Order: sequence, then C-alpha cells, then structure tokens
Amino acid sequence: MKESDSKLAEFTPQESWQAIHTTMDKARSSMYVAGTATILLLWGVISALGFTAQYVFETLAPDFALPNPWLYPLLWGVLIAAGMAGSAIIGHRAGKKNVAGGAMRSAGIRVFLFWLAVAVAAFFVPGAAGMWNADAAANIPRVSIGIAALGYILYGIMHRPVIAFVGAGIAVAFYAPSYVAGDAAPLLTAGAILVLTALSAAWIRKSGVL
Amino acid sequence: MDSQERRPVTDDIVLDETIHQPTRLRIMTMLVSLPGTDRLAYGFIQETLDLTGGNLTTHLRKLENADYLVITKEFLESKPRTWVQATPAGRRAFAEYLSNLEKALDWRPRT
Repeated sequence: MKESDSKLAEFTPQESWQAIHTTMDKARSSMYVAGTATILLLWGVISALGFTAQYVFETLAPDFALPNPWLYPLLWGVLIAAGMAGSAIIGHRAGKKNVAGGAMRSAGIRVFLFWLAVAVAAFFVPGAAGMWNADAAANIPRVSIGIAALGYILYGIMHRPVIAFVGAGIAVAFYAPSYVAGDAAPLLTAGAILVLTALSAAWIRKSGVL
Repeated sequence: MDSQERRPVTDDIVLDETIHQPTRLRIMTMLVSLPGTDRLAYGFIQETLDLTGGNLTTHLRKLENADYLVITKEFLESKPRTWVQATPAGRRAFAEYLSNLEKALDWRPRT
C-alpha cells in the first residue's frame, strides 16, 4: 500500500532521524540490486546449459569426456565468463535508468568486484584444498557450487532477502540431486535451477520488491 | 532560508517545514546522499519510497518551488525520462535541517 500524507503527517525529531538513516540504506541498497531479476534469469539459463552439457558429455559421450578432464573447467570457465559479462551489461543498463552519475558507477564496480571475488574463490579454493587432480576433480563442483550459493546468501543478507533464498535454493537444487539422483543429477539440477531462477525473477517483477 | 516555512521545536530550534514533512524528508535524503552532480530517476524515487505518482509529483513540486531541487526531462534510449537533482540551496537547507535536528535530539526540558 502506498503511503499517504495523512498517515505520515507528523514526525518527531527521533522519527525524522530514523527515517533519514532508513532511506539512505534503502536507496543505496536499491542501487546494488539494479537488474537483479534479469540477471537471475541469465544465470538460471547459464547454469541449466552447463549442467545439461555436463549430463550430455557424461552419458552420451563418456569416451570423449573421460580422457579429457579439462573439458568441464573449460565449459564452466566460458559460461561463467559469459555470465559475468552479461550481468555487468544488464546491471549497467538497469542502473543508468535509475541514477545518472558517479554513485551508480561506483555501485556497479563494487557489485562486479563482489561477484568476481565469488567466482575467483569458487575456482581457486578447490585448488588451494589440493583438489586439482584426477582423484578429487569430481568433487570440485560440490565446493564451487557451495561458494557460489554462499555468495548469493551473503549478498541477499546485505541487500534483499529474496536473493539469499535463491542462494539456498541453488544449494538444494545442486546437493539434493547429487546425493540421490546418480547419473541424472546434472539434468535434475539444470531443471531445478532454471525453475528456481525463473520463479524468483517472476516474483521479483510482480512484487516490485527490488 | 527565511522565506521557508519553519516549525519550532523550542524557542531556539526550528525545523524547515518544507523538508520536515515525512515524504519530502525521504526525497531530500535520497537526493543529498548522492554526489552533487548525480541525478535520480523519477521512477527510482517512486519505487524506492513506495509512493504513488501523484503523491511524489506533489512533493517534488513543493521542493522545486522552494528551489531545493531541479526536475529535468530528457530522452534515454528513445524513451522520455524525468530526472531529479538537489540544488546547492537544497543541500545547504538539508545540512541546516540536519544540524537543527541534532540539536532537537539533544534538547532536554529544563527541570
């Protein structure tokens, strides 16, 4: 419900002080979530493509996939780079419709650096844990997806709870099938993440929460 | 600014009534929290503060009449867009309002 003057006719000095801080927080936070619905959809499609390709390689072309361990890092590297570039473009276009000037640019750079840090951590933490070898390579996604989901959860806690729920949903969409669905796990994860991000984006657009 | 309406808290402390109204206070807070040359889109203010178009327009007009902000219209990617920017006078008035608000928060009745 929209606020009316009659409801807000009077402010005490304390309420004014509180309103100033709340408004500053909300305005700043709104700059950090510009284009989120579209970006979520983009990552839903990218994740679905990656996990579907993984399923196809594992089940339909194992003779090609098994002797080529570089295949999955290459696949995900290309997809993540494309996703980062796409997200930056979407965020920039959405942001410049809201704010004209340096504040939006600096918010955009901070958002990009946050997600770059998440992507770099998802890539290098398994290496630091000694997992970049043939024996442990199969477990790398379990670490990397956990870091990515944690990124969503932290970002959501800082800006909008719905993003944290998406992060938790991504974790469930990956870990549940990986423990119970066997070979079909990547395909189930692809579908679940696509549905999750599409529903989240639709809800965000409908509710206007961002 | 002497021409603006002022709301006395005590004999010594008065708050600029143009800014002290809750919706206008939030609008001015959004505007002055940006660097001087930055502008906010009308739609962004409306969504962030959860206001109706009519309500926002009314308050923007009051602030514009007080010379606290300027409203400009231009085309962005072939679509019309309305931008709102705090004026130097608006920033000064807000700073003065904040200073008086701090005094009002510190003020205690004499016993």
